[in-house]
Amino acid sequence: MHDAGVMPERLGRFLSARDGTRTAVVRRYEAMVGGYSRVMARAEVAWSDGSVEMVVLRGDPPAGKAMIETDRDVEHALLHALTSSGSVAMPAVRAYDSSGAELGTKCIVLDHVDGQSLQALLNATPIEQHGEHALDLVDTLASIHALDVDALDLPIPRPTSWDDYLGELIDRFRQADRGHAESVPFLRYVASWLDAHRPPPLPLRLVHSDFQAANIMVERGGRHLMIDWELAHVGDPREDLGYYNVYSSASGPNLFARDPEAFLARYRERTGFDEQAVNLTTMGYFSSLAAITVYAQVLHGAGALARGTNAGLLTTYTMNALTIGHSNFLAGCTAPQSQPTAVA
Amino acid sequence: MLARPTTEQILLDVRAELLSTIDAAVTEPAVKVAIQMMENVLRNCAERAAHEIAWMRDETAAMVEYAEQVSASPAGSAELRDALASFSAGRSDSLHLDDVTATYSLAGECLSTALEAVLAAGDDVLHVAGRRLLEQRLVHEQQIMGEWTMVGRA
Repeated sequence: MHDAGVMPERLGRFLSARDGTRTAVVRRYEAMVGGYSRVMARAEVAWSDGSVEMVVLRGDPPAGKAMIETDRDVEHALLHALTSSGSVAMPAVRAYDSSGAELGTKCIVLDHVDGQSLQALLNATPIEQHGEHALDLVDTLASIHALDVDALDLPIPRPTSWDDYLGELIDRFRQADRGHAESVPFLRYVASWLDAHRPPPLPLRLVHSDFQAANIMVERGGRHLMIDWELAHVGDPREDLGYYNVYSSASGPNLFARDPEAFLARYRERTGFDEQAVNLTTMGYFSSLAAITVYAQVLHGAGALARGTNAGLLTTYTMNALTIGHSNFLAGCTAPQSQPTAVA
Repeated sequence: MLARPTTEQILLDVRAELLSTIDAAVTEPAVKVAIQMMENVLRNCAERAAHEIAWMRDETAAMVEYAEQVSASPAGSAELRDALASFSAGRSDSLHLDDVTATYSLAGECLSTALEAVLAAGDDVLHVAGRRLLEQRLVHEQQIMGEWTMVGRA
């Protein structure tokens, strides 16, 4: 995937071998912009039976150039489990090069979605028309959080208890500080604050962990398909709510902020979670807590750059996201005698 | 050495050339996104070059003063005394950037440990005072960041 010039031939051979009966010729191959963590491309494929289709490729960047490190084997196994169960609307997995021997890097080949991302749709829609999209977005998130993780054979760890899980999640702030190339005083402050203000528990559910409008593809008929599952895990579903809030505050529009109470009411209605667990206060809490998953990955990349073991423009560029993270941490972890701020 | 134009001015000049000459000649979407990112990084670097040593020195002094205040209070802890001792043993007055960042990191460790001690002790006055240091640090980070959005995300 790192050499676009050879990819049409390689991909055609790869798809033909996987199909077994038909021969594929790649008529067009182009890199996709929009994703930060993985190398993405789309290809137009003409099959020997006369059919033509588009596929999307999602592969690892060159060694030492990744902004974040995640495991394609785990992602592929998770996508396979979720699509097999039919439990979440997402593009189907077509094939996987698990060694990188055929496509130049570990690479998942997915169905192409005939539509656009929700981010692109929102960017092209007047703000006064965002209300329906807010409800659709909540419904998409709730559909993930309503899944019974015990009934799905997911290839990801299952925490033993909510208390232990939350403690481990909070401890990731301390781990991020310990692992970095310099002290970052925000992190242990936030960890101490979050430990002292734990919210009521919720059942552990599937958490997408990068829930944002750019990771929702909207088909022409309006159906939402979730993409980019590389950080998904079983955890507290409010992580996705908090993450969405902080992410879309930095890269808007923020559909939660336009009417926070209505957003949360719809979410409670769709998931069955109660108001004691899902409210503006817990939203503020998880707006601080949830960012650690992506924050820690970005900080890890910055640390690797400082130590000379990583390089790349994306790593340097996304360091600014750490500043946004610090701002959100302070907004969520309030000073004594002040009220929490759910809207970042 | 030639101090003027300053590093900030040179970086901003390179940034202007990148936008006016190189970006104008490029049509490939992925490369145009990379140019926007470079523009941002150059702006970040220019801001850092202009201020980072002064900011780190100022913050270092404030963080250590706060940590000493916490250490002398009932919230003081053995871990905080250790962090302050490590700062005293490892600090440097050198203005070379590597030395300033090393000293800054040791002071940051003092602040982290002091804030942990203050929250454990439930001392709201010292809590608020410690947050002010984090808020000041954030002001500097935001000045470096400037206007920033995730370019190319769609």
